[in-house]
Amino acid sequence: MTKLKTEALRKSFGELEVLKGLDLEVKEGEVVVIIGPSGSGKSTFLRCMNLLEEVSDGRVIVDDFDLTDPKQDINKIRQNVGMVFQQFNLFPHLSVMDNITMAPKQLKDLSGEDARTLAMRLLDSVGMSDKADAYPSSLSGGQKQRVAIARALAMEPDIMLFDEPTSALDPEMVGEVLAVMKKLAEDGMTMVVVTHEMGFAREMADRVIFMDEGNIVEEGRPEQLFGNPQNERTRDFLDKIL
Amino acid sequence: MNTNMKRVTVFGLLLLTAMLFTSTMSPLKGHAEEDTYLIATDVTFAPFEFQNEDGDYVGIDIELLAAIAEDQGFEYELAPMNFSAGLQALEANQVDGMIAAMGITPEREESFDFSNPYFESGPVMAVRDDDEDISSYEDLDGKTLAVKVGTTGAEFAAELAEEYDIEISQFEDSATMYEDVLAGHSDGAIEDYPVMAYAIQQGLDLRFPEEPELGDEYGFAVNLGQNQELLEMFNAGLANVLEDGTYEEIVERYLGDSSEVAPRAGFFGLLQANFGPLMTGLGRTLVLTLVSFAIALVAGTVIGLFSATPSKVLNVIADIYVTILRGIPLIVLAFFMYFTVPQLFGIQITAFTAGIITLSLNTTAYIAEQVRGGLAAVDKGQLEAARSLGLPYGVSMQKVVLPQAVKIMIPSLINQFVITLKDTSILSVIGIVELTQTGRIIIARSYQSGAMWIIVGLMYLVIITLLTKLSNMIERRLIAND
Repeated sequence: MTKLKTEALRKSFGELEVLKGLDLEVKEGEVVVIIGPSGSGKSTFLRCMNLLEEVSDGRVIVDDFDLTDPKQDINKIRQNVGMVFQQFNLFPHLSVMDNITMAPKQLKDLSGEDARTLAMRLLDSVGMSDKADAYPSSLSGGQKQRVAIARALAMEPDIMLFDEPTSALDPEMVGEVLAVMKKLAEDGMTMVVVTHEMGFAREMADRVIFMDEGNIVEEGRPEQLFGNPQNERTRDFLDKIL
Repeated sequence: MNTNMKRVTVFGLLLLTAMLFTSTMSPLKGHAEEDTYLIATDVTFAPFEFQNEDGDYVGIDIELLAAIAEDQGFEYELAPMNFSAGLQALEANQVDGMIAAMGITPEREESFDFSNPYFESGPVMAVRDDDEDISSYEDLDGKTLAVKVGTTGAEFAAELAEEYDIEISQFEDSATMYEDVLAGHSDGAIEDYPVMAYAIQQGLDLRFPEEPELGDEYGFAVNLGQNQELLEMFNAGLANVLEDGTYEEIVERYLGDSSEVAPRAGFFGLLQANFGPLMTGLGRTLVLTLVSFAIALVAGTVIGLFSATPSKVLNVIADIYVTILRGIPLIVLAFFMYFTVPQLFGIQITAFTAGIITLSLNTTAYIAEQVRGGLAAVDKGQLEAARSLGLPYGVSMQKVVLPQAVKIMIPSLINQFVITLKDTSILSVIGIVELTQTGRIIIARSYQSGAMWIIVGLMYLVIITLLTKLSNMIERRLIAND
């Protein structure tokens, strides 16, 4: 069953067209990894999937709801699409606990008690339960990103979008975040991941998408795309980074 | 208790205190009852009107009005304000009548109806006692004359200036004018004879090189065609008090040889003698500041949020507001609120209310800009993260962006608070007796401007230092929570 679909998606910043008509379909439980050189439009593409970036043309459909329809209640759909950012974007004025419970309390009318229980369960699953009362400024990058994942999961979304989740981390912290993502994938979460971690793509992706200059150049199973790339630009890119 | 709760509590407490103060301290109540007349008078014009050390208004005008009111059986309330402000208030129907040693002139009769004259006077020139240069009007060539705005003395000085090469300095009250001469800025001052004579009698080191001019008569004024019954009662009462000797008693008390000479106190004596009125003035300064700042904090946040929204319409509204209110000097805005607005809309508004509105509108513009800057300084990833969770724009701003912006804004808000506090002194022009105006009133009866301005300056300094320390403590508390 299709969870998320883009149809002829275009995005321009002024004169500059950064997404040139992208079609993508993500099935339930599928893990799609988007790779490509910087400036290829992969982050913009991801940000269009929950309309953080306004779409210039084309459609974004999540669970049969058209996000680009102006009458659509975008907040309702976003509750179902979690997002994790490169810079974590934890709320610095709130404790780890409040970072996680704020949205469910606001949007799901969860009692303080229930929200706390939910948050503790999520913190436990990302290995951060001992930091519930800490403030973000006292956490390491890896810890921040794990809390950010727990925060996104607190709305119990069906789809998770990851925008270069390990790019701002010191190398020794990349592993702990990838491990959390791996567990999510194994639990059947539908995921779209923009990353430079080829190891993760190779191991966890059901499908890898290579983007360049606003186009999807090539896509396929990881062993196929990494082992036997068909397009010259894909080969160039992989030669440079592997 | 979380940060937000604390902030709301502190804010609420401030607002509550402010409200308690205002309810007890409003100086001008307008028409308390139907038949209570509001009568404007000058703040500092001894011996006709001035505050004594108990803070009560006394003087020839004040006692004459009281005697006439008693004789005719009408109720009134005094509204002391600077002379020129009083004229505007009368024209704007903000007050019903005005008694302020006002000369009856043809120009004024075009705007006001006058009672029968109750006092004869004329302008006189005074120079420093030790100034040997000036012995007649001819010696004024190349000199500077101090006058009070809108007075017959000012008109007389203008006539002199046509004849001689004289520079004229304009002042809002008599005491400042005398000080200007004593300090050597002006060479002479022109003022009504009885007023100046009284000041010299009270110990001012001035002398008269020329005899007083003749031909000025004081009258009680109402706005043209308005309050005719009040004017008739004044005339009838005046006739009665002239007849029964009350009038003579009153004038004798202030201008006769037996009138009391106030002792000149030293710095601490001055402070001690006027401690009550000074504290009342300071209290009013604080109420003006706190109430206006509280209103501006709320309104400024709203306008600041307007300029941060994606809505172009709201952006433009915020921009227009800030441009206009930041572009108008506070003193002009105060006059506009107190004199123009009532005329435009036919409403009555007390000086205190006009002052609060003026200061709130002005401060709102500055706080709005600080809010805008504070919001812009919050990383845009914060709003994106909140929106990606499904939180609506309003909730995201309220729960995520604004609390962080407030923390960034605190130092500039403290700064703005200090500025607003000092700006209250400008509101004295519409007759609000806050700290600065209290100082002026005390100088008007004590003629000790040197010591008084040091006292007033120190009071501002102490209160601002204390409030700044308090704000910094609150700031540290808030930041300690991160």
